[in-house]
Order: sequence, then C-alpha cells, then structure tokens
Amino acid sequence: MDVLILATECDPAEEIICAPGNVIELFEFKQALFSIGPFDFTRTVVLTFLAMFIVLALLYFGFRRVRVVPSKFGLAMESVVTFVRDDVAKGTIGPEGSRYTPYLLSIFMFILVANLFELTPLINFPLTSRMAIPLMLAVTTWLIFVVVGFYKNGFRYLFDIVWPKSVPIALRWLVGLIEFVSVFLLRPLTLAVRLFANLVAGHLMLTLLLASGWVFFAAVGDIGIRSVIGLPWFVFGLGIFVFEFVVAVLQAYIFTLLSAVYIQTSVHPEH
Amino acid sequence: MEEIKGAIALIGYGLAAIGPGIGIGIVVGNAIQAMARQPEAAGMARTTMFLGIAFTEALALIGFVLFFIA
Repeated sequence: MDVLILATECDPAEEIICAPGNVIELFEFKQALFSIGPFDFTRTVVLTFLAMFIVLALLYFGFRRVRVVPSKFGLAMESVVTFVRDDVAKGTIGPEGSRYTPYLLSIFMFILVANLFELTPLINFPLTSRMAIPLMLAVTTWLIFVVVGFYKNGFRYLFDIVWPKSVPIALRWLVGLIEFVSVFLLRPLTLAVRLFANLVAGHLMLTLLLASGWVFFAAVGDIGIRSVIGLPWFVFGLGIFVFEFVVAVLQAYIFTLLSAVYIQTSVHPEH
Repeated sequence: MEEIKGAIALIGYGLAAIGPGIGIGIVVGNAIQAMARQPEAAGMARTTMFLGIAFTEALALIGFVLFFIA
C-alpha cells in the first residue's frame, strides 16, 4: 500500500527520480483510524493487536486438541515450539532453560509475525520498524535477565560485573566500567536497534525498488519505450522480496537467541 | 574545486561499517571452515556463527543510530 501511496505522490512526467518528502512518512502514521475512549488506534496499534491475535490463533488452533498423531498444521506448530524449547532455550541456557520457554516462544512468534507484515500484501509495513516495539521487547528481556541475575546470585551478580576477578588489578576498574556499560546499557540497546535497523533498511529498500519500477511503468505515456527501465527495478525488487523473507525469519531467531544467551549469562555467571 | 555538500554523518556511518564488515567476513569464513571440516558439528557452528555475527554487527548498528542522531 505504501508503494501505491508513494508513487501517486510524485509526478513522473516532471521528475524521473521520485522520493518521499520525508522518509519518516513511510514509518509514521499519526492519523487515528478509530478511538476507544482516550486511546487512539493508529495503524501501528491496530497492527500490533492483529499480530497478537494471529499469534494467539496460531497457538490455539495448533494445540486445541493434542493427539498422538497430530494434523499437518499441529505438526508445524509443534516443530516451532520444539525448536524454541530444545534448540534455543535448552540449547543455550541448559536444562533449566525450559522455564524460560514461554517467554522466548512468545517473543519469537510475535517478532516473526510482526516482521512478516513487511511482506504481507495490503499491509506492507514491518511493525518492528517502529523503535517503540523492539525497544519494549528488549527492555522486557533486560528486566528478565537482571532480575534473574540478582535472584540467582544475589548482590554478587553486580559485584562480579564491576569488579571482575580474572583481570589484573590495575585494569580491573576499567574493564569493570566497560562491562557495566556493555551489560546494562548496550545490551538492550543493540538488541532493539539490530531488529529495528534491519527492518527499516528492508522496508526502505523494498519501497524504493518497487516504487521506482511502478513509477517507470506508469510513465509509459510520457517517456514511451524508455519505461522499460522499470523492469529491472521491479525484478530486483522482487528478488529483494525473497531476501527480506530470510531476514525477517533470521532476525526473529537472532532476537530470541540473544535473549536466551543474556538470560544464560545471568543464570550461570562466568566461572 | 566545487563545494562539497552532504551530511558528514554518512561518512561516519561508512567508517563504522568497515570494521564489522571485516569482522563478519572472518566469523562466517571460519564458521564455514568449521562446518566443512566437521559436518556433524554444523548445527553448533551455525548457532555460534549467528551469535558472533550479532555481536560484531552491534558496532555498525551503533553507527547507524548515530547517523540518525547526528
């Protein structure tokens, strides 16, 4: 939908290279679709709820009736859950990782659905390209690993980070400072920004390539046969489409994996 | 010489991307080597490779954010 909006806004007869007035227009939807009480439902909020309901529906219909021989759909959902539990949770955290499976599964499914909105026709907007959503998910992970760290190790958790025993005493304060900033500030920040930046880049790339293809085709009356230039752009854009599918799945996996690794460093601090 | 126009933050992001680019190359190259030498350990090598990529990428991402802030 963004492609159409973008393409209609520029006049192909006058300028071949069209760009939105401000790139932020592609990501911000300030106009409320409808309001319930004091809460405005913009496009982003509606899509957030839609992603939540899709995840709920997938899990509900996948595990409505647990059978010895599951249906095809149930089998697919089971393989997703088994992947998160065995490969991600138990694989990185260890045997006690199954306690964190519900959280890891929730964020994996939510991020996956939110990322795939980028490629869904008529939606075409990756939910995670709004910084608020990855940042909230990253802050949740941050809270979990900090709370688990203090719960499992007491005050020693913080002390081990700012005063690492394995480092020579002259450098200990410097390494401790770097570790402190890295653990408590950079970890959630990079976790959020990684997801955000990948999806922003993907959304921009898709919009630019497909929109330039569309604009060239639409200008066939004005520039004649030269509108064939649009074809390579369009083909390239469709190629990127497939690539973005891989990126969407991979980023959901990496976010979940890193959350698990961060929780693991709190459950078993370095020995 | 004509006046040079543009945002210097773009150059900053380009510089910030050099190190992680080399780093990710090393990580992936060595992971492929490990997988080729020991195909039975491919799963473990792949997970560790993604972790290594994610940590290396962080520097480029900080550059990306600074590009927007600056």
